[in-house]
Amino acid sequence: MKRLLALSLWLWMAVVIWAAFHWAPLAAGFKGESSRILFFHVPVAWVSFVAFMTAGVESVLYLAGRRDPRHDRSAAAAVELGQVFAVLATVTGAIWARIMWGSYWNWDPRQSAIVVTMLYYAAYLALRQAIADGPSRARLSAAYAVLGLVVSPFLYFVLPRLGFSLHPEPVINAAGKLEVESRMLAVLTASSLGFTVLFYWLHALRRRLGAVAARRDEGVE
Amino acid sequence: MSSSWAAEAAAVFVKDWRCELRTRHAVATLALFALTTLLVASLVLGPIGNDAEMSRRVVPVLVWLIVLFAAAAGLPRAFVHEEESRTAIALRLAARPSAVFAGKLVHIATLVAAIEAIVAPLAVALFDLRVAAAAELVAALAAGGLAIAAATTLLAAIVAQGRGASTLFAVLALPVLLPALALAVAATRVALTGVAEGNLLTLLLLYDGSVVVAGFLLFPAIWNP
Amino acid sequence: MAATALAFKGLSRRFGPVRALVDASAEVEGGGILSVRGPNGCGKSTLLRCLAGLLRPDRGTIAARERGRELASDERRSRVGYVAPDVAFYDELSGRENLRLYSRLRGLPPGRGEILLERLGLAGERPFHAMSSGMRQRLRWAFALLHAPDILLLDEPFQNFDAAGERAARELLAERLAAGALAVVASPSDVALPRVAGELLLGG
Repeated sequence: MKRLLALSLWLWMAVVIWAAFHWAPLAAGFKGESSRILFFHVPVAWVSFVAFMTAGVESVLYLAGRRDPRHDRSAAAAVELGQVFAVLATVTGAIWARIMWGSYWNWDPRQSAIVVTMLYYAAYLALRQAIADGPSRARLSAAYAVLGLVVSPFLYFVLPRLGFSLHPEPVINAAGKLEVESRMLAVLTASSLGFTVLFYWLHALRRRLGAVAARRDEGVE
Repeated sequence: MSSSWAAEAAAVFVKDWRCELRTRHAVATLALFALTTLLVASLVLGPIGNDAEMSRRVVPVLVWLIVLFAAAAGLPRAFVHEEESRTAIALRLAARPSAVFAGKLVHIATLVAAIEAIVAPLAVALFDLRVAAAAELVAALAAGGLAIAAATTLLAAIVAQGRGASTLFAVLALPVLLPALALAVAATRVALTGVAEGNLLTLLLLYDGSVVVAGFLLFPAIWNP
Repeated sequence: MAATALAFKGLSRRFGPVRALVDASAEVEGGGILSVRGPNGCGKSTLLRCLAGLLRPDRGTIAARERGRELASDERRSRVGYVAPDVAFYDELSGRENLRLYSRLRGLPPGRGEILLERLGLAGERPFHAMSSGMRQRLRWAFALLHAPDILLLDEPFQNFDAAGERAARELLAERLAAGALAVVASPSDVALPRVAGELLLGG
C-alpha cells in the first residue's frame, strides 16, 4: 500500500514538473520564463507555514494532554522539516527576486515572513539542543512553540508591513494576476498538494525515526 | 492556600527587589550595558538630532537596540539565578505559579523601566533630539518596554532550565520580540517626527496583551515539571 | 482508610539512558514513617522529588490524602514538607527574612517562623550565605515545617546536624507524627528512625 502511495506521489510530482514547464502558460508581466519558479516557490513556502502550524498544534496537544511524547516528536519533526522547506522557499524566492528586480534581497513582506520563520525554527532547535532531559525538553520547547503560535499573527501580518522596502508593489499583485489563468491555477494547486503530501510523508518517516531513537536511548524494556 | 494571589505576587516582587537592592547586580549590569552603548553611539554620531533625516531614520532603532541589548544582558538573571542557586525549589513548593509569574513580570518590567529611564533622557541630551510628541514617546517606551518584559519573563524561565542560558536567551528572544521592536521603533519615530503612521500603539498593546495572557497560560507548564 | 495517607505505585524515572528510579511502590499512613534505603544512586532523591511534585515520573501513580481530603498533584506540591540537601534560600536575606517570605507566600502569620527559629535554636539574623552547613540544615527544617504539613518528605534530614540540631529536629518530627502526619525518609542505614511503619529498599 505504501509502495503504491509513494509511486503515486512520484508520478504526481513528475506530471506537475512537466506541466510547470510545458503546459502552463507564462504569466504576463514576468521576465522570460521566470514565472515558472512560482510553481515551486509558492508551494514550498506554503508547506513551511504548514509545518509551523503543525508544530504549534502538536505542542498545544502535548502540554494540554497527558504529555504524550508522540506529540513532542511530531512537533520536533515538523520544525526540522519546516526548516528545510523554509530554506528552499528563501532560495527560490531570492533567485526570482534577482531576476525580476535585480536584487536578491529587499525585505519584501513575503521575504520578511520567511526569514522570521527560519529564525523561529533555528531558535526552537537550539532550545532542544540545550536541554538534556527528555520530558523537560519536550515541555519547554512546546511552550516556546506555543508562544510562537501566539506571536505569529504579528510576525506574518504586522512585521512585514513595517519593514523598509524598495518595492512598493508587494508580490501579491503579481500573484493576483495568476489567479485569472486557470491552467496556472491548476498547476499551482497540484504542486501545492504534491508538496503537502510530501511533507506529511517525510513527517511520518521522521516521527517513526524519532520513536525508534527514543526506544534505543532508553533501552527497550 | 489561604494567601491571596496578589499578596503572593507582591511577596515575590518585594523579595526580588530586596535582594536586588542588596547586591545591585542587575541594575549595575543594565546600567553598564546601556551607558556604554549609548556613549559609544554618541561619540561616533554626535548630536544627530540636528539632522532631521538622521533623526527620523537612525535614532529610533538605535535607542531600542540599546534597550534590547541591555535587557538581554541583565534581565535573564531573574530566573537563571534562582535555578543555579537552587532557591527555585523552595519557590516552587511555597508559591503558586501564576503568582511567581506576576511577581517576576512586574519586577522585570520595573527593571526595563529603569533602563529606559537611563537611556531615554540621556539619548535626548546627547543626540540633541527634538521630540515632537513627548506623551507619544513615553507611551512608546512603556508599551515597548512591557513587550520586552513579558517576553523576557517567559523566555528567561525557559532558558534557566537549560544549558548556556545567556546565548540561548538572545537566540530565543529575537524572533519573538521582532514584531514588538519594529512597532516600538516606528512608534518612537512618530513621537520624534510628529508624523502619524497608523495605529502602532494599538498593535503594540495588542502584542503586550497577547504575550501576557499567553504567559499566564504557559508559565505553569514552564515553571513546574 | 486512614485520614492521612500516601501511596505510590510503579514509579519510574529515567534521565536519558540512566534509569534513576525503577518501579517503586509503597504506602504509608499518618503517624508512621516509610524508610527508604539503598546504596548511592539508587533513586532515593529521585523518588522524593517525584513525591514532592518537583519531578514528573515517566510512569506510575501517586495518591495522597491529607486529613480525609484527596490531594491533586498541584496541591500535593504545596502541602508537603520537604527537606533535602539541595534546598537553598536567598543568600542576601537573613534566616528570619527568608522564613517571613515563605510565610507570606503560604498565607501564614510571621509568628510561625519565629517559633520554629526558636525551637531549632537558630538566631535569625545571619544572611543565608553566611550560615554554616548546620545552620542551613536547621533553616531547611524550619522552612519545611512552616505550614504544619501532614506529609513530610525528608531526604537525608539529619545531615550536617550537630547533636543539638538533630535533637531539636527529631523532637519536631515526633510532634508532627503524633499529630497524625506521615513521613517518607531517605537516609543512610545507620540513622535510627522512630515509628518505622515500612521499609522500601531501592536496588542498585
